[in-house]
Amino acid sequence: MGRFLLKRLFFGAIVLFGVITITFLLTRVIPSDPAARWVGPRATRQQIAQARIELGLDRPVYVQYTRYVSDLLRGDLGRSLRSRQPITDELVGFLPATLELVLLSTFFAVFAGIPLGVLSAKSKDKPVDHICRFFSVGAVSLPTFWVGMFLQLLFYGGLGWLPLGSRVSFETAIFYNIPNITGFIVFDSLITGNFYIAADALKHIILPGITLALYPIGLVARMTRSALLEILGEDYIASARSYAVPEAKVLWLYALKNSLGPTSTVLTLSVGYTLVNTFLVEAIFNWPGIGMYISSAVVTMDYPAIMGVTIFSTCAYVVLNLIADIIVALDPRVRV
Amino acid sequence: MRKTTKRIFILALAALLVISLAACGNRQSGAADARKIVYYAYNSEPILDWDPSVEFSNGIIVMHNIYETLLRYLPDEDAFEYVLATGYTQSADGLVWEFDIREGVKFHDGTVMNAEAVKFSFDRTIDMDEGAAFIWDSVEDIEVVGEYKLRITLDYAAPLDLVVASGYAAFVMSPTAVTSNDDDWLSSGNVAGTGPYTVRSSIHGEEVVLEAFKDYWGGWDGNRTELAIIRKVPETASRRQLIESGEATFILQVTPEDHAALRGADGITVREETSYQNLLLFFNNQKAPLDDPEVRRALSYAFPYSDVINHIMAGEATQGRGIIPHGLWGHGSDIYQYQYDLDKAKEMLAAAGHPDGGFTLTATYTAGDEPQRRSLELFASELAKLGVTLEIRGMPWDSQWEAAKTSPDRAQDIFVMYWWPDYASPFSWLLNLFYTEDDTLFNMSYFSDPRVDDLIDEGNVLSGVDRNAGAAAFIEAQKIIMDAAAVIPMYDQHYVRIYRDNFKGYKDNPSYPSVVFFYETYIE
Repeated sequence: MGRFLLKRLFFGAIVLFGVITITFLLTRVIPSDPAARWVGPRATRQQIAQARIELGLDRPVYVQYTRYVSDLLRGDLGRSLRSRQPITDELVGFLPATLELVLLSTFFAVFAGIPLGVLSAKSKDKPVDHICRFFSVGAVSLPTFWVGMFLQLLFYGGLGWLPLGSRVSFETAIFYNIPNITGFIVFDSLITGNFYIAADALKHIILPGITLALYPIGLVARMTRSALLEILGEDYIASARSYAVPEAKVLWLYALKNSLGPTSTVLTLSVGYTLVNTFLVEAIFNWPGIGMYISSAVVTMDYPAIMGVTIFSTCAYVVLNLIADIIVALDPRVRV
Repeated sequence: MRKTTKRIFILALAALLVISLAACGNRQSGAADARKIVYYAYNSEPILDWDPSVEFSNGIIVMHNIYETLLRYLPDEDAFEYVLATGYTQSADGLVWEFDIREGVKFHDGTVMNAEAVKFSFDRTIDMDEGAAFIWDSVEDIEVVGEYKLRITLDYAAPLDLVVASGYAAFVMSPTAVTSNDDDWLSSGNVAGTGPYTVRSSIHGEEVVLEAFKDYWGGWDGNRTELAIIRKVPETASRRQLIESGEATFILQVTPEDHAALRGADGITVREETSYQNLLLFFNNQKAPLDDPEVRRALSYAFPYSDVINHIMAGEATQGRGIIPHGLWGHGSDIYQYQYDLDKAKEMLAAAGHPDGGFTLTATYTAGDEPQRRSLELFASELAKLGVTLEIRGMPWDSQWEAAKTSPDRAQDIFVMYWWPDYASPFSWLLNLFYTEDDTLFNMSYFSDPRVDDLIDEGNVLSGVDRNAGAAAFIEAQKIIMDAAAVIPMYDQHYVRIYRDNFKGYKDNPSYPSVVFFYETYIE
């Protein structure tokens, strides 16, 4: 197990290193002048030349690269060309909003996806199964932006039940001091007893949360169904049933427990997917997270910011893959 | 099974509890009536750099409510409103300007604003030499000649009244606050101005909440906005829904289709305002076949002006006449305006030695800008009728600009971009776009004519003394440029402002694009 993990970690580090190198080189190949970006739209030539020296862009690429990597090792991602703030600070500012969404959608994926899969497997080939499968296929294949905009039109424009976007209403933003402990507004305001803010934030997170959760829900439901069906055909299930163990217990305890291996792998990987998919959802719901951050960074060629987010996403993927591997390895039936 | 169900049930109950407890929240003290808050849904980050000496972008929509300038330019009357100055004089040669500084003005930090503070602010901006600091180029020396009297001496005559009224880089800030804090105190989001608002809260790159500064020198009599929020809402569809529902008070233009729909909507005002932004199509004046003025003239007759304005801009634009947009001084009503005339274009092209066209041109525009792309496509279909192929390339602005800065003979044939002034003067267009440049920066037609250079210099100097004489020189320069057909002024854009009917007092001022001076407004 220990060796297995070390090996995995080693490969993860190689992937990370590769991504850093490639993104670094790519940002240097794109015809764009970071120095001009740094000093602003109508800079004079002297200002640009000055900025080039300040930013170290007058040095050879390999020097810039080693400098970037050594800064990176100290947790310094450089400064944004647009706002001139340290990228690390900006990421820390925007990250909680994204994580809040991702966590919520993972919560939905578990508590809606698994029951859906179980229900489907239990009534295999019956109408309930068809409905569940129809839903899960739909959830996986409907384009996120379409679902998001549709939900907005329905629940904001049409019914007026839920807000259009943002994390809190503008009144809340003005009149309340939003507590900031973890950066998850719902959680922070609950533990500090600010129930009004918590309720407002909860109302705001429902639509983006559901939009983002659709894909993992569908994925988990499908995975649970197929894994469960396989298990339900096993001999030990037949014997449990012949001992007149209640069907619910057979299904939810004996069968489901054994089918959770592949489901949790899929779930872990889908968190990685969600982390990237949130970029679209954030744009639609005006959600101030990493996705919004990188979309404006890309449009304005703010390459330190682009690299920062890329490196962050890669790290997240590597870690999630590692977790998925560990989950598999924890299953005593699997030898590693 | 039961345990899980129970847990889910408990969770759901807890959530319900939270929502029902919502009513007993803890509002901050001093809360005003929520219906009186102005909510400005803006398409991008409200502000990126909080340093008033540096910010040279969207941030002015926030800055102009927190910081003030000596004067404010009123284009309709071609006059100035006195803000932090109460009067000014200029010497006959236009080189020495004296400003009377308003007395009784306090900064947000409580210190007194005087001539010393103004000098400090301008010097700081000039010394930092960032953002739009170049507008102070003509300044040689700034002296305090009295507690409330400032003398600015210039190297060469220039319209300093327009400079101090600039939308960028002309703000006055508190010397005490700036010097007693770290260098990045301002840029990290602190403010110390004299304006009617201070920052109540802000989220970097996301939103800014402004609240009334109680000691504002103008006072708070009458109906005035006391709280305003500027929030980033990048999705066009979202901004439209926000204004329709009445949640947002004010938005900038969305799409022409949306404007048409919103014009008929209840409770919403849609106003088309003149702007100082125009879209220009630059011919590469140094590369064959466009180095021949006759060819450029021919192509100028092939541009479908009215189709672009009617079909792409839905009428929300006016065909350009000369380089300077309508409504700004220096715009010449007698400058020659090319009209769409394909027969004439064909004739002229034949006379220039290209009877059947037979050449290919490349055009670059800023990727993602639909009006630019669609205008070029319409142009391409007209050019095709002349046997000329137009290849259209959308590029990120940086790449487009980088490519254009290489030598003219390797650069694109056609470059499309918008221009708007730093301060309300034709000088900004003419100097940046048409003055001879050894290394290209913004002269995207690579145009060079010593007569034009002289006229630009002359116009700038004259306008420091006599605005009309300056305008005449600028118009003369434009006539030469248009005769050479160096550029096609495609259109002068109109800005569309959309707001709720109960939002009163708003007046658009194109010298400060997209700025809402909240102090002048209120919600009825």
